[in-house]
Amino acid sequence: MNSKAVIAWVVKIAFWALIVLFFWWTISNNMFSQLLENPDQFFGLLGRHLQIVLISSTLALLTAVPAGILLTRPKYRKYEWLLVNTANLGQTIPSIAILALAMGFLGIGIQAAILALYVYSLLPILQNTIAGLKSVNPSAKDAALGMGMTPKQILWKIELPMAASSMIAGIRTAIVLNIGTTALAYLIGGGGLGVWIFTGIQLFDNTYLISGAVPVTLLAVSVDQLFRLLQFFLVPKGIRLAQKAAIQSA
Amino acid sequence: MIEFKNVSKVYPGDIKAIDDVSITVEHGEFVVLLGPSGCGKTTLLRMVNQLEELTEGEIAVEGNNIQELNKFEMRRNIGYVIQSNGLFPNMTIEDNVMVVPSMLGWTKEEKAERFAYLMNLIGMPPEQYGESFPHELSGGQQQRIGVARALAADPPVMLMDEPFGALDPIIRSRIQEEFLEIQRSLKKTILFVSHDIDEAIKLADKIVLLKDGKVQQFDKPAELLNQPANEFVAEFVGEDSVLKSLSLYTVKDLLEGAPPTEGAAPDASDAIFEETASLRSVLSALLTPSQKNVWLKNNEGRIFGPVSAAQIESFVHRMTVTA
Repeated sequence: MNSKAVIAWVVKIAFWALIVLFFWWTISNNMFSQLLENPDQFFGLLGRHLQIVLISSTLALLTAVPAGILLTRPKYRKYEWLLVNTANLGQTIPSIAILALAMGFLGIGIQAAILALYVYSLLPILQNTIAGLKSVNPSAKDAALGMGMTPKQILWKIELPMAASSMIAGIRTAIVLNIGTTALAYLIGGGGLGVWIFTGIQLFDNTYLISGAVPVTLLAVSVDQLFRLLQFFLVPKGIRLAQKAAIQSA
Repeated sequence: MIEFKNVSKVYPGDIKAIDDVSITVEHGEFVVLLGPSGCGKTTLLRMVNQLEELTEGEIAVEGNNIQELNKFEMRRNIGYVIQSNGLFPNMTIEDNVMVVPSMLGWTKEEKAERFAYLMNLIGMPPEQYGESFPHELSGGQQQRIGVARALAADPPVMLMDEPFGALDPIIRSRIQEEFLEIQRSLKKTILFVSHDIDEAIKLADKIVLLKDGKVQQFDKPAELLNQPANEFVAEFVGEDSVLKSLSLYTVKDLLEGAPPTEGAAPDASDAIFEETASLRSVLSALLTPSQKNVWLKNNEGRIFGPVSAAQIESFVHRMTVTA
């Protein structure tokens, strides 16, 4: 075993030890009491949290993926800078400011939270869709065209499979960020697990804080893992193996 | 058959990429488009399957004016091979090779049979490579698959854009020979782009030498080398055109003309060339200081020689006069 591998192992063990320590500390101090004593309220908040995440990211997905595809077609390529910069704006403005702006339009409530998180999720998906489609080897596209594939066939059989890895990575990033940011929805009356987190902060009450923050974290981590699994199934085997081989030879 | 009739291509800004080209590639003929970079050879090739539009003139493939055909359907009937092979990394080798047959709606059995035939043709066992992916193959193997893919639906016409250009010289030369062998049995009509005159001489039935989009000479390799039509052609084929033309002739040609006397069994250190060897390699051996004697062997195993450089010289003179 070389020194790099040893360091990696030490870091890994230290990391897991910290997690065990953290849970031992929280559980022994009864910090999950809110969660255990008010399961109905917890599931209500969790449901609302998931609702915001699901609706906003689905809408972002349905907008950004087609937009990314459209912007890589020769006809619309000239508008790419415009849309990417607009989406960039959505991402550079602090998330809390977007929430405030959305509240300005739609008032207090879940709609404003969904709008804000939708805008916030657009860029990673759009950018990775464009990057993925642009990375497709031009000679593969040329060969496909020369063999008589229609542009539609090239998109579905060549471009999208080859871009899948990058696209899914973008969607994963967007949704994981979205889960964390949704905790801020409480600030504009959107509800979700942020309700307990902010209550905990305001009251200096760890039972609220931990009962809200730990589930949000676990949710983000498990969705992240779920998408890794999805990536495994959706990215064609040939691309997956080629990427692996490229990493090993590098 | 591919016919170009007064074909021109003008880019915006009045840049003439192709200037009034009229040539005919006959059935089963191997024609190489040769010329320096920017001479329009690739453009001319890509106009045949309408990857580039023509500005003026007419191109007919198998007698049909291409502009009257459906672009996508006509491309499926033309084999297309490019330099960087353009294999699809997301598909297995079998799926890659069977792209066009799949579009044409072949059945599973038809495709499996054709795939096995093609893989055997290019010398790669189908059961070993069918499930592989492009990145797992070497450059030479990928290029062979590129050729097999172009042959998949048995198109009468093949367009090849420097297909062996990215390979190292040893692999390139081997694949050229393999491909010539395949072409001898399949007799496709081939239009082939190259910037390498040695490759053109080796492969072509006829060569189109282009410069600035204009045809400088359209001739058999021997004629191009021995009777260049103008100064540009003479310069392009180079001062060693005679040496190059030697690779057009084999030991067999020399033996059929005025053979050296039949000789005794040579020493172990002597070189013996088979009938199929090119005269260029024979001359090269003759000029090698360490080589003692050079002998020629015909198909019946009879040995002639030792051959001299003067004999090759007189053979070349005879050929240049009759050509």
